[in-house]
Amino acid sequence: MEPHLQNLYEVLSKVDGYVYPNEIELNWSILIVLYPYITGLVAGAFILASLERIFKLHILKPTYGLALLTAFSFMLVATMPLISHLGKPLRAYEIMITPHSSSAMAIFGFVYLWYLMVVLLLEIWFDYRCDMIIWANETKGFKRFLYRALSLWTTDISPKAVALDNKIGYIITVIGVPSAFLLHGYVGFIFGSIKANPWWSTVLMPVIFLFSAMVSGIALVMFIYIILNKIRKISVDMACLDTIAKYLFYILIIDFTLEGLDQIHRIYEAEESFEVLHMLVFGRLFFTLFIMQGLFGTVIPLITLAILQFYKPKVQIRKIIYFIIATLILIGIFFMRWNVVIGGQLFSKSFYGYTSFKIGLIGAEGYLMAAVWIIVPFLILTFLLWLLPPWKKKEDEIQVI
Amino acid sequence: MPQHLKRLISFFAILLILFLIMRQVLIPKSFGQLGHYRADAISENQVRELHYAGSENCTKCHDSIHIEKDEGYHKQLKCEVCHGPGLKHTQYADKFKDGHLPDSLLLHKPIERKECALCHQKNAARTKILFDTIDNTMIVQIDAMKHKLLNKKTKEEQKCIKCHNPHQP
Amino acid sequence: MKNNKSNLSRRDFFKNGAIIVGGIAVASAITTFDSVLFALEPPKGKGKWYGIGIDINKCIGCGKCANACKLENNVPKEPFYFRSWVEQYTIKNDGTIKVESPNGGIDGFQQSIPDEEIFKSFFVPKMCNHCAKSPCTQVCPVGATFETPEGIVLVDPNYCIGCRYCVQACPYGCRYVHPDTGTVDKCTLCIHRLKKGLQPACFEICPTEARIFGDLNDLESKINYFLKNHTCMVIKPHLNTGSKLFYNALSSEVR
Repeated sequence: MEPHLQNLYEVLSKVDGYVYPNEIELNWSILIVLYPYITGLVAGAFILASLERIFKLHILKPTYGLALLTAFSFMLVATMPLISHLGKPLRAYEIMITPHSSSAMAIFGFVYLWYLMVVLLLEIWFDYRCDMIIWANETKGFKRFLYRALSLWTTDISPKAVALDNKIGYIITVIGVPSAFLLHGYVGFIFGSIKANPWWSTVLMPVIFLFSAMVSGIALVMFIYIILNKIRKISVDMACLDTIAKYLFYILIIDFTLEGLDQIHRIYEAEESFEVLHMLVFGRLFFTLFIMQGLFGTVIPLITLAILQFYKPKVQIRKIIYFIIATLILIGIFFMRWNVVIGGQLFSKSFYGYTSFKIGLIGAEGYLMAAVWIIVPFLILTFLLWLLPPWKKKEDEIQVI
Repeated sequence: MPQHLKRLISFFAILLILFLIMRQVLIPKSFGQLGHYRADAISENQVRELHYAGSENCTKCHDSIHIEKDEGYHKQLKCEVCHGPGLKHTQYADKFKDGHLPDSLLLHKPIERKECALCHQKNAARTKILFDTIDNTMIVQIDAMKHKLLNKKTKEEQKCIKCHNPHQP
Repeated sequence: MKNNKSNLSRRDFFKNGAIIVGGIAVASAITTFDSVLFALEPPKGKGKWYGIGIDINKCIGCGKCANACKLENNVPKEPFYFRSWVEQYTIKNDGTIKVESPNGGIDGFQQSIPDEEIFKSFFVPKMCNHCAKSPCTQVCPVGATFETPEGIVLVDPNYCIGCRYCVQACPYGCRYVHPDTGTVDKCTLCIHRLKKGLQPACFEICPTEARIFGDLNDLESKINYFLKNHTCMVIKPHLNTGSKLFYNALSSEVR
């Protein structure tokens, strides 16, 4: 028997209560968990970068370039889990040529392109154009050609041109922040607009997705910054890290509040679907929701960050604590996506039962495929850091404006 | 306008034009004629293979059974309810005048107990069912695995059709 | 002219309150009273507009419809793919509800609860509701699923990208991904049979004529007779999907 069908028969034996026969199979698997996860990392990392640029938090400067490049490398991969889970991946282009205006997923294609091409790409381009021209003169061979091509063979590095670049870069960042909100709010809307599914259908979903995105993106930059400095064997800028942690703390509070509000509202209204969801969260979702997302992903980081606002241990210990917190949050937000995507499919829309979820290691929707899409952005980031190292940029360029 | 902005804008303009050209090429012909979909998809959905013939086609040859069935409680049952899809049978049966049809064209004869039980197995959801079309009768229900299961003499399992004529039960 | 007249009489007919059909919860504005039936404006144009009626009182749960659907439409045999299936609801004396649908009802139902514990029990055949405001066609990113002018919700298997968003959006669980093609598959109301003037397979095969379909625009049609003479209801009316599958004797337990 085909492994796919064998899997389904196994799931069938674990069905609890009654589910519609077509619901035994979970149609959105781990790849669709990754899709909002990765998109969220992008939006969060970009918002961290924009804090520096728009809100003039120059203390965050060591992470500005890193955050941008992180956002860009994850953005390049963001749609890949989505495309690779399609039944007909080669038809993916249809989303762009005949987008259905009433479909959240179709409009996402354009929001994505806008964000990737107009916001991230342009911001990085204007940010690095001058440097690329300079680096092109310092290097030889293929790398030189790359710099030339990426700067579109322009040569103008006069102060006037650089000032213009900075100005445009600033404008793009200003446009970028609402775009980042739009991008991830939209991902939330993809789920929040499904009225058939009471676990998803809440008006708060886009907002929750947005704030959890910021939390995860900031944690990711923190995580990468600490690792990168370890690799480069240079000391971490603790003032910068402390500030990031402060913002992480604030946004985590908002995120926690919103998610709490959503659940309280759900409990208080106790609609038709309440019983089935109640049993879901205390049953099949207990571990991922309360332990992974709630305890490790939210409560522990929240309390630790709160303590760190008043009591600051030694630098070395603080660095380790930040690293652990960033990791915990990254895992926690992953499970938040998991609880939304997988959790929303575990109960029947008849509200009379539950199916279960099982994925294999290999195959188009297995763990390995998911691991690929998590690892690839890091490889892209490594390449980008080699090509466009933010720490080699000429100083005081950004502060011109 | 500085040179590098011109380059950038033309770069994006080229991308946009390429996209628009691709779009023109790739959009299917009938897309958008009736709505946001391929109008041809309707006719494509209509050209699938049929399997059920409809009882009118059965009575053309099996007239006597039809008359027989029409007098009994199964009169509103269409032939294919029990015998399965028979379009191929109706299309090709008269090519074999001697009556020896190949197996692939023969229709199913439901003689097993479990097949009668599909409708007549005793079930709480069936007890209150009335048929205004058949003189307000209730569907006959038995426990198919008990009701006269064994032949009294031979003690062998006997089929429902031993006593009941399915065409005139 | 003639059409106008029939529309007018139809509207009067509704205003007189002769029919009260599903979706009462959504009929908040009196101006959209028509929408109680259609859950949207009545379709323009004179063509057919299909609706379906199922009489729960007549269903004996033989599962022939589910079986016929699979045979007619080459639906995979495995018990995870159904365009049409039958559920048995059993409400026990203690108030608990048991729903079951072993293999979609194709192999028949075995009563799993003893008679003395049963308050009531009934069968509910399920299939695509061919909603007029279908959430599934709304979310399709590429326009690969749509409602035809005749009111049938179809999938374009040559254009579907297999993103499964529509599967998530259908409140009735009527869609699945065909394991062989990777595209979404669903009830077509046997549009290939309608074209030949035949009934859809499940309607053709129903031994008790519990299933009825017809043209909602034709006042003399079987479906309109059915709607006039029964107290009909749709499943999940609060979702305002404009479901065109009307059940007679639908209990509130059915979801």
